Amino acid sequence: MVRFKHRYLLCEVVSDDPRCRLSLEDRVLGGLIRDTIARVHGTFGAASCSIGFAVRYLNAYTGIVLLRCRKEFYQLVCSALPFITYLENKGHRYPCFLNTLHVGGTIRTCQKFLIRYNRRQLLILLQNCTDEAEREAIQKSVTRSCLLEERSDEEELSDNGGEEEAAEAME
Amino acid sequence: MWSALEKMPAPATTYERIVYKNPSEHHYMKVRLEFQDRGVGLNAAQFKQLLISALKDLFGEVDAALPLDILTYEEKTLSAILRICSSGLVKLWSSLTLLGSYKGKKCAFRVIQVSPFLLALSGNSRELVLD
Repeated sequence: MVRFKHRYLLCEVVSDDPRCRLSLEDRVLGGLIRDTIARVHGTFGAASCSIGFAVRYLNAYTGIVLLRCRKEFYQLVCSALPFITYLENKGHRYPCFLNTLHVGGTIRTCQKFLIRYNRRQLLILLQNCTDEAEREAIQKSVTRSCLLEERSDEEELSDNGGEEEAAEAME
Repeated sequence: MWSALEKMPAPATTYERIVYKNPSEHHYMKVRLEFQDRGVGLNAAQFKQLLISALKDLFGEVDAALPLDILTYEEKTLSAILRICSSGLVKLWSSLTLLGSYKGKKCAFRVIQVSPFLLALSGNSRELVLD
C-alpha cells in the first residue's frame, strides 16, 4: 500500500547536571538535532532528514525523547545522535548525550517498550535508593504498576508515565 | 576396460572456485579544473583542500573523511588523477559536479575519465587522433 513509512527513535537525554533535563524543549531539541545532522551529513543529510523529522514526545522529568524520521533516512539521523554533546538553553550550556533506547516503526511499539523499560528502571531505582521515605514511595509505585499490568492489556502512557515521573522527580 | 577406468585413483588436485563480484576496491578518476578567468593557480595541497571542502559541503564531516588520494597533479593544466574507494565514487562525483567556486572565483570540474582500473586511464579513445 502507498504510505510514507517512518521510524520512531526513542532516546534518553543523559546528563550530570540536573538542570539539563528541566530545560528540555521540543523546538530547541529539534533545532539542535537538525544542526547536528547538517554538520555531520552535510546539505544532503540535512535536506533528506528534515522532511519527515519531528519531535513527537518529550518528557522533561525522565529525559525521554521520541523522534520521528522517514524510514529511508533513519540511519543518517541515528548516526548523527552521538555527535550531540551539549544542550543550549537561554545562554546556558549543559553537557549531555543522547542514549538511543529503541527504534520502532510505530508510536505504539515505542510506547510498549517504554512501559517495560520504565518498570525495569523502577526496580533498579528501588535497589539503589538510600532514603527510607524514597524507598516507600518507589515500592508503592512498583506495586501500582504491577496492578495496572494485571488489570488491563492496554495502558495509557500518561497513566504510567505519571507514576514514573513522580518517582523520578522525588529522587 | 570399464573396470580399469573405475579403478583409476581420483586426481590429486582439488579445484577451488573464487567469484569476484567487484574486482577493484578503488575507482580512479581523471579530472580537470577549469576557471572562468585565467591566471588562477593552485598547488597540490590547495587542490586537495578544495576537494575535501566540496565533499564536506554536500555530504558532511563523515564523508569528508573518505580515503581520497591525489595520485598525480599538474599545476599548469590543473588536471589530476584521483583515487577513491568504490563506495564513495558517487558521492565524490556528485560533490565535484556541484562545486561552483573557489575563493570567490567561478570554477567547474570536468571529469574526463573514470575507471576501476588505473591502467585504463593511460589511454583514452576519445582523445585518439586518427591519421
